[in-house]
Amino acid sequence: MRAYLSYFKLRFITHLQYRAAAWAGIATQVFFGFVYIMVYIAFYESGSASLPMQLPQLITYIWLNQALLSLVNLFYKDQELFSLVKTGNIAYELARPKNMYFMWYFKIIGERLSKVVLRAIPFIIFLMFLPEPYRISLPASFEHFLLFLSTMTAGTLLMTSIIALYPIITMHTLNEKGVVGIIISISDIFSGLVVPIPFFPKFLQTISKCMPFQYVSDLPFRIYVGNIGLQEGLIGLIIQIIWIIILITLGYILMQKSLKKVVVQGG
Amino acid sequence: MKVYLKHLGLHLKSLLEYKASFITSFLSQIIVFFSYYFIILALFTKFDNIKGFTLYEVLLCFAVIQFGFAFNESFARGLDHFDELIIKGEFDRILLRPKNILLQVCGYEADYTKVSRLIQALIVLVIALINLKIEWSIMKVITLLLMLLSAIAVFFSIFLLAASYCFITVQGLEVRNVFTAGGKHMAQYPIGVFKKGFVYFFTFIIPYAFVNYYPLLYFLGKTNNPLYALSPLLVFVYLIPCFLIFYKGTKRYASAGS
Repeated sequence: MRAYLSYFKLRFITHLQYRAAAWAGIATQVFFGFVYIMVYIAFYESGSASLPMQLPQLITYIWLNQALLSLVNLFYKDQELFSLVKTGNIAYELARPKNMYFMWYFKIIGERLSKVVLRAIPFIIFLMFLPEPYRISLPASFEHFLLFLSTMTAGTLLMTSIIALYPIITMHTLNEKGVVGIIISISDIFSGLVVPIPFFPKFLQTISKCMPFQYVSDLPFRIYVGNIGLQEGLIGLIIQIIWIIILITLGYILMQKSLKKVVVQGG
Repeated sequence: MKVYLKHLGLHLKSLLEYKASFITSFLSQIIVFFSYYFIILALFTKFDNIKGFTLYEVLLCFAVIQFGFAFNESFARGLDHFDELIIKGEFDRILLRPKNILLQVCGYEADYTKVSRLIQALIVLVIALINLKIEWSIMKVITLLLMLLSAIAVFFSIFLLAASYCFITVQGLEVRNVFTAGGKHMAQYPIGVFKKGFVYFFTFIIPYAFVNYYPLLYFLGKTNNPLYALSPLLVFVYLIPCFLIFYKGTKRYASAGS
């Protein structure tokens, strides 16, 4: 366990170095937040009878998405793990006396956390001082906030479990753009990054419930704004844990299987 | 130009060597693009208009903008990735050749998977046109063509500006995304639906409004002022300073490669 934790720490510290990139990232995310919100405001001002979320809830949802993007984004473009597979450097990894799946798992989580930890809090504080209607609201209640924290933690683990599958799939396809690309684009839609799940047509909401993606970010954010009640939220937390167990087992088994017949590329 | 086309042909050939991978990337591009208009489709199940524009009117606007963007992403890829060209020192090689610099940059890389977006944008365009009851006239055909061409021009000029920026900073900055991806996201909707400040910004600083708003008003019969129909021409005027800036940049260029 200590070895894995040090992987986590290494990644965490390395990525903390990129501070200028971090600030540029925040600026971009603020801008995008505004863009999304402007579109929704234009829609809300045009009026409609039945809306699944109130505007302040929606705005908070969008800001949480932007502030915590690194914890919830299933888009993974870091070339390091992929190029391990593609260049054959995976051989070095294999030489290490640790389980490769968990090595990768902790690498991913360390990298993602480092991107959020230092900037999410000042970011959210900044958002609290924005003029209405752009301001981020406080959690619906203290209980909602506690449940948000636990589902967010589970969501982060779930995100990592999904991403850890990408390089394993790449071991078979040798190209991270194809199959993995398709998974990434589907997850983009169903994690609520594009449009919050309540805005989906009914049948897509049903499909979405059968996939792990909405439990990464849509669930915790909607608990925070109070769009999901406490009881329903607790059920969501259980579903999250089930998905994490399923995906980690799947990833672990797939990894062992593909390592048995690994063909090292390149010399 | 011939050289440019040959470049594109070569890229296509090399891509087709890896058929399965090409097909899956093509597919994933289709889904990515779907997620773009999925937003519009989903929101229009809950709302029936956005500031007076209906679903198909917005889709028309969306298709025009995406067409212009996808066209540049497919065929001016090198310009989009200009920082890589500079960092790797590839740009030095280009400068050495006795051919047009810009065409070479554009042809440096071609991304055919993005052609799937181009095709989809055209499909969405046709669907929108069929569902909109438009009283066609020659003027309107011209307006639509101008909109499509100016959409290409507006993204090309932004790409040019972003590339010129790389001459100064070497590394392409994320800020560039604000104008391409962020601007594109807003321009999917008629710019006029947004707050005043944004409308001015996207009219006078980056002329999206002349691509997707003023001509659209004429095209949909919301105004009869023919000046609105011809307003996309201003985007072509906008291209001129962008070209000049880029060429000025190449003059000042100091190599970064080894």
